[in-house]
Amino acid sequence: MKSKALKIRTRGWREAKIAYLILIPFFVYIAFWNLLPLILGVLLGFAEYNALSPPTWVGLRNYHRFFYSGVYLPLLWRQVWIGALCLGVNTVLSFAVALALNTNARGRGFFRASFYVPAVAAVSVTTAVFVSLLAPFGGGFNRFLTSVDMDPIIWHHSQFWMVFWIVVYFVWRAIGPASIIWLGGLQGIDPSLYEAAKVDGANFRQRVRYITLPGLRFVAAFIILTGIIGAMQMFDIILFLTAGNPFGRTDVLMFRIYRYGAVTFNLGMAGAAGTILGIVTMFFAVLYFYHMRRREEKENA
Amino acid sequence: MHKDSTNVGNKAVKIVTRSIWYIVLSVLAFIMLYPFIFTLLAGMNTSAEFGHAGALFPVPEVPQFGNLLFMFTPAGLRPLINTFTRTAWYTIVVSLMAILMGYVLARYRFRGKNFFLVTILATQMIPSVLTLIPAFVMMAHIPFVGGNNWMGMGGRGLINNSLAIYLPLGWGFLIWVFLFMQSMKSLPRDFEEAAELDGCGFWRTLFTIIVPMQMPMIAVIAVNVALGVWNDWLIPFLYINDIQRSTLPAWMGQLVAALQQFGDRDYPRIFAMSAVAILPPFFIFLFLQKYIIQGIASAGVKG
Repeated sequence: MKSKALKIRTRGWREAKIAYLILIPFFVYIAFWNLLPLILGVLLGFAEYNALSPPTWVGLRNYHRFFYSGVYLPLLWRQVWIGALCLGVNTVLSFAVALALNTNARGRGFFRASFYVPAVAAVSVTTAVFVSLLAPFGGGFNRFLTSVDMDPIIWHHSQFWMVFWIVVYFVWRAIGPASIIWLGGLQGIDPSLYEAAKVDGANFRQRVRYITLPGLRFVAAFIILTGIIGAMQMFDIILFLTAGNPFGRTDVLMFRIYRYGAVTFNLGMAGAAGTILGIVTMFFAVLYFYHMRRREEKENA
Repeated sequence: MHKDSTNVGNKAVKIVTRSIWYIVLSVLAFIMLYPFIFTLLAGMNTSAEFGHAGALFPVPEVPQFGNLLFMFTPAGLRPLINTFTRTAWYTIVVSLMAILMGYVLARYRFRGKNFFLVTILATQMIPSVLTLIPAFVMMAHIPFVGGNNWMGMGGRGLINNSLAIYLPLGWGFLIWVFLFMQSMKSLPRDFEEAAELDGCGFWRTLFTIIVPMQMPMIAVIAVNVALGVWNDWLIPFLYINDIQRSTLPAWMGQLVAALQQFGDRDYPRIFAMSAVAILPPFFIFLFLQKYIIQGIASAGVKG
């Protein structure tokens, strides 16, 4: 009796020992490379630091400048609307693609793969094609336009066209993964539900409304949630495709943070703006998360 | 009679919709693949032929392979090798981390397990913008390296040091720990218990019993991590200025960012380099597509 209890206790202790020996070193190492910068970033926001002279504590000045200088709030707003445009177009189009791929026709494997391929190439690599095609004089698109007797367009001088091409590139690259997640959701719906609905006399619209859409709720939540977090930090496309042009009208907050951090070394402002953008992103994510949870509870009640 | 005619009608409708489906998807597939076709064609142009920016279809008169071969001269080869070693290093480290941590979290009972689980999930919610620039600042202030004193001041720290693209371990990778833990739950404990009765210790049990049975999940982890790290241009782009210590996608990043400025540009060389940078992930995708798609699917369902 006693020995059995002892055995269980020693076994538990042995397991705990192994678990701690594995988990704690990894946690400490990851905390060093992630938690420390997280704290450092918040502290940087209260300092002025240019990487040459020692940092000085300036209190809330960076935050005050963020909200009252009139420079940063438009950048934040642009990040939100350009990001929302990219994400919205991608969510809708990827759903359409998923519907088109949800058959058992021959060749669907090839089509699915062709939608996914752009996502396996680096952004810094594939943007080169778009830059070349959009070159104002002698670029592929303008050569095509002149060959069909249309006026060439100086893409880089128009905010509309630059945002247009940002969205096109974003969707080109992100549509594959999103449509595969949608497709997984579509195929996860029990086909017998459709059969039962058909027997009960539900028409096509009712079947979509009461079976397909509710069945896709979690998939939609995942696509939009991860999409928000990605789009709020999107700057790579801006950096490579437009560099913020024309005249800074596609400049977004994340691109500015990157430039402050790695190019002009305005590190205090980078810390403050990064903290604000991070909090706004988390706010959107949590807001959406709770919205989904509440709707779910309402429907269960 | 009547039945037959509707069958024929249905068949006709079916054929028409199928054809439309094929035509629409073929056009879309062409659009998706077009930039890759462009890259391959442009990489084989001469600079003179490509001109200022190239045509929609820059078909070379005589295919040139000089720019492709440039990638395999000493100047071009080093970043390519760096990309391979960096990808291999992170693939091994993250897979091992996922196996070890995931196994312990799924099977062992110990105090504070919930703390570890909640922390892992919480880190997945933290946007990387919060750490990107501060991590760069921290890199520059690691003590005792790159001319830094014990306070971490005075030098450039790990910036421009080869180690800078091997040491950091982002907490985004912890998602794979979570997914490995999830996949452990569908594996019965009988095998481990039998192994333990036979006197197998922790490592023997893990690597001779668990790992072979979890191979599909480990493949999902390895393939997705490898793709992500190969395509990660940002970390080397930020931390390393010297091309010879950097990776190919980061080098491409420098070249493409410079396209926005005035100055000379050698498009065919850029596209030849692009082709080389795309090929490894493209082949991974071609042969291991199953695991990539399983990766997104499982992240989508559980994440």
